[in-house]
Amino acid sequence: MKRTALTNKLLVLGVDGMDPRISKKFLAEGKMPNLQKFIDRGAAREDIRLLGAIPTITPPCWTTLATGAYPGTHGITCYWRQSPESLDAVVYNMDSRNCLAEQVWNVSAEAGMKTLVWHWPGSSWPPTSHSENLSVVDGTQPGSVNMGVAQLDWEKVIVATPEIKEVRYAPRVDKPAGVGCIITDLEDTLDNDVDDEMMELWWGDTARQGGEIRTYVMDDEDTEVVIGSKVAYDIVNSPLKEAAGWANAPEGSKEFTVLTSGGVMRRPALILKNAAGEYDRVAIYKNKKAETPIVVLERDKMVTGIIDDVTKKEVTKPACRSMKILELDPAGNRVRLWISNALDISNDQLWHPKSLYQEIKSNVGEVPPVSLIGGEDAELVREIFEPSWDLYNKWQADCLNYAIKEKGYEVVFSHLHNIDCAGHQLWHLGKTLEPWNYTDEKTYQGFIEKFYIQTDKYFGEFLHLLDEGWTVFILSDHGLIVGENVPPIIGEYGGLNTKVMEKLGYTVMKKDENGNSIREVDWEKTRAVQIRSNYIYINLKGRDKYGIVDPKDKYDLEEQIISDLYNYRDERTGKRVIGICLRNKDAVLIGTNGPECGDIFFSVEEGYNRLHGDSISTSEGYFDTSVSPVFVAAGSGIKSGFTTERTIRQVDVAPSVAVLLGLRFPAQCEGAPIYQIFSEEV
Amino acid sequence: MSLQQLNSNSFEEIIYDDCESCLVIFSRKDCHVCKEVVPMLDELKPQYEGKFGFFYVDVEEDKNLFQRFSLKGVPQILFFANGEYQGKLAGKVEEEAVEEKIAEVLNA
Repeated sequence: MKRTALTNKLLVLGVDGMDPRISKKFLAEGKMPNLQKFIDRGAAREDIRLLGAIPTITPPCWTTLATGAYPGTHGITCYWRQSPESLDAVVYNMDSRNCLAEQVWNVSAEAGMKTLVWHWPGSSWPPTSHSENLSVVDGTQPGSVNMGVAQLDWEKVIVATPEIKEVRYAPRVDKPAGVGCIITDLEDTLDNDVDDEMMELWWGDTARQGGEIRTYVMDDEDTEVVIGSKVAYDIVNSPLKEAAGWANAPEGSKEFTVLTSGGVMRRPALILKNAAGEYDRVAIYKNKKAETPIVVLERDKMVTGIIDDVTKKEVTKPACRSMKILELDPAGNRVRLWISNALDISNDQLWHPKSLYQEIKSNVGEVPPVSLIGGEDAELVREIFEPSWDLYNKWQADCLNYAIKEKGYEVVFSHLHNIDCAGHQLWHLGKTLEPWNYTDEKTYQGFIEKFYIQTDKYFGEFLHLLDEGWTVFILSDHGLIVGENVPPIIGEYGGLNTKVMEKLGYTVMKKDENGNSIREVDWEKTRAVQIRSNYIYINLKGRDKYGIVDPKDKYDLEEQIISDLYNYRDERTGKRVIGICLRNKDAVLIGTNGPECGDIFFSVEEGYNRLHGDSISTSEGYFDTSVSPVFVAAGSGIKSGFTTERTIRQVDVAPSVAVLLGLRFPAQCEGAPIYQIFSEEV
Repeated sequence: MSLQQLNSNSFEEIIYDDCESCLVIFSRKDCHVCKEVVPMLDELKPQYEGKFGFFYVDVEEDKNLFQRFSLKGVPQILFFANGEYQGKLAGKVEEEAVEEKIAEVLNA
């Protein structure tokens, strides 16, 4: 197909979880000046909304953005895919080989345009075109580049005081907010089930090879917001004393000990005095014989790119870390230090071509590890979590600008996870609900604002492209809701949701001797299960391993389940909490039909939603939040200062990219170009 | 026993600050396997005098060190050189395996 291109260069700035409704609030307050410039110079709806695909879950929506097809069509229908073996288990889904629709980046690469797909968590890895014009970086998890495969060590807080008499180490301590990091009783802090392999379990080699992940969501304690907001990190306590036995310790410095690598790696450290006699820096050394430190940290400044050896499973490799002083007593009687997780700097397995990794490392810098600790600990959110993302955003912006300027990429699809990562840790604290009444919503609303401000800063790094002939799309997969109520135990994306379905009598759990449900499904009595965000599966004879429902009874059973779900009332409020229910064949109306969408699609009603995923894509929440994704376009081929009334759907993005670049539509595309915003008739 | 016992603080000084090449066996008094492995180390020690240190940690007296290295069970022999961990041998190990590991650490 021949079509005249409206632009030759196009950048998609994807921001996971970015919500147009709250963006409008911050725009009105003047807090997102760079986004405002893109809007002023480009085109969008007045509400800057995109009508999101359903489910409002990361991999399906990014795949829809890339293919122009609905989830029922492209087959990526939740964060996880249903296990082919078990109704109560899920398997890894961020694998492009599961995607049944063509990605628009294959179209651009095969048409001869140099195309980069950067950490796009929806059907990007492994590359699905052999075109030498296509480069792909990671995309196997939504977090940050290399996070799923290169992590060698976990985050730590080191506390040193003269009162601590010996070095102590406690791995993965779930620390209640506000409690100091002093290890008083190791027996209490040690958790025998320390889960240091979450990255691998979810996104690692085993997961990517199809390993089953079995997660039961039975009560509030199993929900993601409760688990995600707990702050867990390694704690090291050390004596703080006069430096002794050093090859090169400055006058007056005091020493303490840092442990890494599950405790087996030890680094001696010094606190250093300034000319005024106050302690204001921390220096970390390989050992006391070393003449020069690995790094010198100053107060209030996070440093990344710190390379040091890390040992994991008896293998030692150089890794990249970030560090920051959390507290340093000027008199030298207390120091608290944060050190990030460690990323293996030699791991290039998710870079195509691998040479791009070396070029990025040499010309931009090592991948900065992002912090995953924040949650209910406001100090860590303020001092560590948010600044670590700010550093990462800058690194990513520099990488993309390097790729554009120095490597000649003409089409770039990029994804940034800062807002969504923060959302999953702390958005639920943006309204003080009873389970977390010890927190203050104003504090967390302030953090939400900070993440939007840092995102705006990121956008500012690309404004220059509008003067260089580029077209820029700013968009997201979904927004994030601050919940009005504690959500019911149905619709959680991570696994099998038992509570509501158990109450309604469809899912039956085995019982212990006291009659309490245990984490095992009684398949002989279970007629249906609710698994992943929005799907209900009938336990069908002949289809499912332990099926008990005769296929001839399936239709009536579905009707009964739908009826019971509509009649179900929330135990806390007495209100209906189920939104819509559709049989699989009817769910084609919203694009969630077909073999990957269960027997019944349902949504959770507005007002009872968790962050995203369980609602329809138009739901709104507290603090001016919504689950809608955002869409703004600007630059070459786009009308300037233009507002459209057209409903812009997520499926319309890929065909718009195709038209702007003068390319054919992706093969399974179901959307239509947003021709109203184009500068020329097409 | 000729092996020198370490506690948390002497561990810091000898293993890390002095950067000596050495091994440390984590053992428990009532552990049967330890009762076989420790005497074997006792016998080996004189051959390495001045070149390679032999130490032990009683995990009941110094539970903190045991936990710090995330160890599970005893005996475990940890090897160090230049203040860096060099790997470990666990359980009932033969003399040859220890000698081999020492040679590896000394030649590293």
